[in-house]
Amino acid sequence: MTLEIGTVDLTMDEIAGRLAAAFPVELSAVSVQEPDTVVAHLERTRLKDVARRLKELPQLAYETLNWIAGVDLGAQLESVYHVYSWRTNTYLELHVTVPRAKAELDTVTDVWPAADWHEREAWDMMGIRYLGHPDLRRILLKDDFVGHPLRKDYVDLAENHPHA
Amino acid sequence: MDWDLVIDIGRLVACVVLAYMVVFVAALANIVFERRALAFMQDRHGPNRVGPHGIFQSVADAFKMMGKEDFRPALADPDIFTLAPIMVMIGAVAVQLTMPYTKGFTPAALNVGLIYIVAVTSFTTMAILLGGWASHNKYSLVGALRSAAQMISYEIPMILALLGVSMAVGSLNLDVVVTAQADYKWLAFYMPFTFMLYVIAAIAELNRGPFDLPESESELVSGYGTEYSGMRFGMFFLNEYAGMTIMSMVAVTLFLGGWHGPFEDLIVVGGVSVVPFIWFMVKTYALVFALVWVRLSLPRLQVDQLMAFAWKILIPLGLLNIALTAAVILWVPRWKWGLLIAGWVALVAFVGLFDPILKRRLRRQRERLPVVSS
Amino acid sequence: MPDHFAVPEPDEAVKLALRRVRETTAVGGGSDMEGLEFNEVVVNMGPQHPSTHGVLRLVVTLDGELVKDVIPVIGYLHRCKEKLAEKRTYYQYIPIVDRTEYLASMNCEWGYVMTVEKLMGIRPTRRAEFIRVIVGELMRIASHQVAVGTFVADLSPLGTAMVFYMFRDRELILDLLEEVSGARMMFNYLRFGGVRYDLPAGWVDKCRELMKRMPKLIDEYEALVDDNAIFLQRTQGKGVITQQDIVDYGITGPNARASGVPLDLRRTRPYSVYPELDFEVCTAAHGDVFDRYRVRMDEMRESVKIVEQCLDMLPRGRVQLGSLRAPYVITPPPGSCYVGQENPRGEYGTYIVSDGSRYPYRLKFRDPCFCNLQLFPKLLSGNKIADAVAISGSIDLVLGGIDR
Repeated sequence: MTLEIGTVDLTMDEIAGRLAAAFPVELSAVSVQEPDTVVAHLERTRLKDVARRLKELPQLAYETLNWIAGVDLGAQLESVYHVYSWRTNTYLELHVTVPRAKAELDTVTDVWPAADWHEREAWDMMGIRYLGHPDLRRILLKDDFVGHPLRKDYVDLAENHPHA
Repeated sequence: MDWDLVIDIGRLVACVVLAYMVVFVAALANIVFERRALAFMQDRHGPNRVGPHGIFQSVADAFKMMGKEDFRPALADPDIFTLAPIMVMIGAVAVQLTMPYTKGFTPAALNVGLIYIVAVTSFTTMAILLGGWASHNKYSLVGALRSAAQMISYEIPMILALLGVSMAVGSLNLDVVVTAQADYKWLAFYMPFTFMLYVIAAIAELNRGPFDLPESESELVSGYGTEYSGMRFGMFFLNEYAGMTIMSMVAVTLFLGGWHGPFEDLIVVGGVSVVPFIWFMVKTYALVFALVWVRLSLPRLQVDQLMAFAWKILIPLGLLNIALTAAVILWVPRWKWGLLIAGWVALVAFVGLFDPILKRRLRRQRERLPVVSS
Repeated sequence: MPDHFAVPEPDEAVKLALRRVRETTAVGGGSDMEGLEFNEVVVNMGPQHPSTHGVLRLVVTLDGELVKDVIPVIGYLHRCKEKLAEKRTYYQYIPIVDRTEYLASMNCEWGYVMTVEKLMGIRPTRRAEFIRVIVGELMRIASHQVAVGTFVADLSPLGTAMVFYMFRDRELILDLLEEVSGARMMFNYLRFGGVRYDLPAGWVDKCRELMKRMPKLIDEYEALVDDNAIFLQRTQGKGVITQQDIVDYGITGPNARASGVPLDLRRTRPYSVYPELDFEVCTAAHGDVFDRYRVRMDEMRESVKIVEQCLDMLPRGRVQLGSLRAPYVITPPPGSCYVGQENPRGEYGTYIVSDGSRYPYRLKFRDPCFCNLQLFPKLLSGNKIADAVAISGSIDLVLGGIDR
């Protein structure tokens, strides 16, 4: 198996259409961002299921996770998944929002192993807890750090840095 | 009071002190020499501040090392921990006493010089083993064992090379070996393959150059010297450079004509010629420079590659060399010419064939590697 | 009185490693230490270490000499860049982007500037595009020189010679870049819609001259190690990255290309003027340490070709949109965007969420070394320590990007 890039020739609109057709309920607001990204919003309860099926789609197999970003949208926290499909050489940007009070999401490390460290970083910086993650601890900050710095309401006080 | 005995003991002590001083100074000089030579080969300057052209750098380093805190791990064996660094230089000192430095002056001319050299250099191996064991550190022990294994393995090709020399010259006495090389009849010209064997074995014996994995063991598992600091470590360190000088001296004596050179009888002071001493030192330091050059030019060998090279390549070749030399000396009427031809043919064959064969084997190994798939 | 010999409380990573250690005595299999009884030992290759490049900490579980498990601990160079972005205008943030992957600053700026330009909907001038390619590729050569030099230096004293030769020639490239941008490392050169300064007089000729010399210099480096049987034995067959790893972990850049995957964003997701340039994507077949070294050397040659083409094709014109001094404050329309760019180490990009104000709402870096480092536990396990050092050198990590 030699990994080949861009073997399947589909236009962006066709890809968006196929995605919308494959996941009519779970994905919403499927749009195309030129030149090669499809942006969609995903319901948080369906994350794992959709992730697994995305990886196994017949022609659009989104096999590689590029990055996961945590975004603070005020009342909600958002986890953005950027996945890549080798066969079509296109990207898919999934936005999953969780309420701030209960910022929990299923982990996708069993679908895309690359998610391991990206989810840890999102937990560290934004405070989104990924359920089922094998080792969810802080990655960039010290282990005993208190608080999640990238949140908009984070104020840096001495109490956040017990080790300093 | 028996004054003769006192004088004898006094002379003995003076000789030992002098011998140690010579070795120390040679080692210190070597360190600076190597650092500057390495630096020039790497397109930079090297130490050039302390003294003119940096020649006193080692002295400064020695003072620094002597001023360091001297501690010993609590669990290390106190006596052996102290003994090992002291013992390590014995080989170098003892060997340099038998070297024919110049015409008419060999500090201790032994009849069995060659065997003595081989026997006494094993002291270093023992000292390293003791050092590694006394550190009470599993990784030091393994490093010391590796180092000792390497040194023992490479002593055999060295002995085989020396055997070839003694066969050609007909004596084990170093003075006889040097006088046999008068009139530019250097053994390096007559037995180049033996010379090459000796040099490679000597580099490995010194734990130098491409064979220095036991001592620069990938920075995590450091070799036998991990637990040593300050002057204790300094002794191990100095021994390596002292060994460089000693091995070069031995090679020069055996293969490169010793103290022979033009204008031998120009200045004679009390029965001892001065000019040949200069030739001896020039040749020695040329060889030391070659050792530094080799160290810079080659990547380190892994332990398994090292041992395989000794046992599977050098020793069989050494044995063949002995057999060939003996055969030539016995059966070829003009055996000096025979040695010359056989030696050069062997050297050219080895140098010409070794690399391509190794590369071909590596290439075949690589082709059998799977092209990356799942 | 403080107890000098007190052992500090082990932190989470070490606790995790200790939990994973099996208590049974293990045989140091596969090396000449077989037969000696070893417990598995957890060793810290701490943040300061001669062979880990940068402040990377590896908590290594050793069985004799074999590496059983590696837990990388990062964050020693964390400078809260993503939080800083929320309090800086887009223009003020350009120098800060420089400092992520500091060995490839131009490319990092490019990754950031491209994203903002896409958000704004502007395109840089044509001359500026060519200049960006030129400095980007020069930066690629310089970055590979450091990467390969330090990697070979890990293996042997020979490598120290190679490092010095490579750094000597890197000075020539940095001199060129200093003439253009005023700095040797943190260039602060790219702007939205162009570049800050035009090329000074005579620069094109100097660059052309250097590019004529460069292939011979690269030959000089290769002559040192390429043909060396010892080097080949130490690097071939070690640290293989399989294609499955590339898919699983998102490995990009020379590490992926060395395993036969032609993933080069300059070709698969073309940006700037790369579609008009003629160069090859360098790949290799086996994905081991030697192949990664090979790919980087080949890429240096390809970069030379690219720079020469660009110098020939350089059009006249302005180097910035609008007046020569770009507006200090820009306000991209609300939206979000991600653009990736081919950094010497892989795919580097920024994801920017804009809310229409003068500061980015959220800025996230996609850093190639962060993704490559995830592969370490899998890659290093089962190797001897010396091999582990060689393999980690060949992955080419820059902690600035990993920790941001």
